[in-house]
Amino acid sequence: MQDIDNEIKDLVAEIIEKNPAELAGDARFIEDLGVDSMMALEILAALEKKYKIAIPEEKLAEFTTLNEIIKVVKQYIPNN
Amino acid sequence: MQMLDIEEILKILPQRMPFVMIDRVVEFEPGKKVVAVKNVTFNEDFFSGHFPGKPVMPGVLIIEAMAQSAIMLFYVKGSQESNNKSSYYLTASKIRFFHPVIPGDQLKISIEPIKLISSAGIVKASAFVGDKEVASGELTFAVKPV
Repeated sequence: MQDIDNEIKDLVAEIIEKNPAELAGDARFIEDLGVDSMMALEILAALEKKYKIAIPEEKLAEFTTLNEIIKVVKQYIPNN
Repeated sequence: MQMLDIEEILKILPQRMPFVMIDRVVEFEPGKKVVAVKNVTFNEDFFSGHFPGKPVMPGVLIIEAMAQSAIMLFYVKGSQESNNKSSYYLTASKIRFFHPVIPGDQLKISIEPIKLISSAGIVKASAFVGDKEVASGELTFAVKPV
């Protein structure tokens, strides 16, 4: 499962233009990282494409930190 | 395939002259696919300065034509009355340009969704002149209803 965590971290880091090594799992996107809601949508779209899953729009509100994103994505990946 | 003329386009787009960058919609499947046409003529105001003696359509206006086509794609998500009263904000564009667009060209813009939600969208956009792709990429936009 660690693999998925790292994959998601890399994907998120690339979209928000941060170094993955500097992206803490509990850093708050809006307050700590300057990520806006549209970047969250880009992250959601990229995750859907990568894992061929569909994440409902309401879940966007839960995209507050990297750890929260990983939690949401794992709910939608089969056998997880 | 449903087509829309300029009168029908203006019922959906909030933009007005001189900033309407599409003339006709030739494929209209809201939420799925939109193909729009922009006829580029030497009389366009921007050609007088871009560039004197060497008219080239500014890339930002090609992006604008793509963005307006994306509004047409988004149509299905909103209600008919609110479409041209909503505010649309382009929040990100990743577009590459391959060939200059010049007077006499007919720009054909194709938009397909990557992700649409009720208040925003990410779309794949391509622009062609004839069979030649002149620009392509992605646009992200937010929609604020009335």
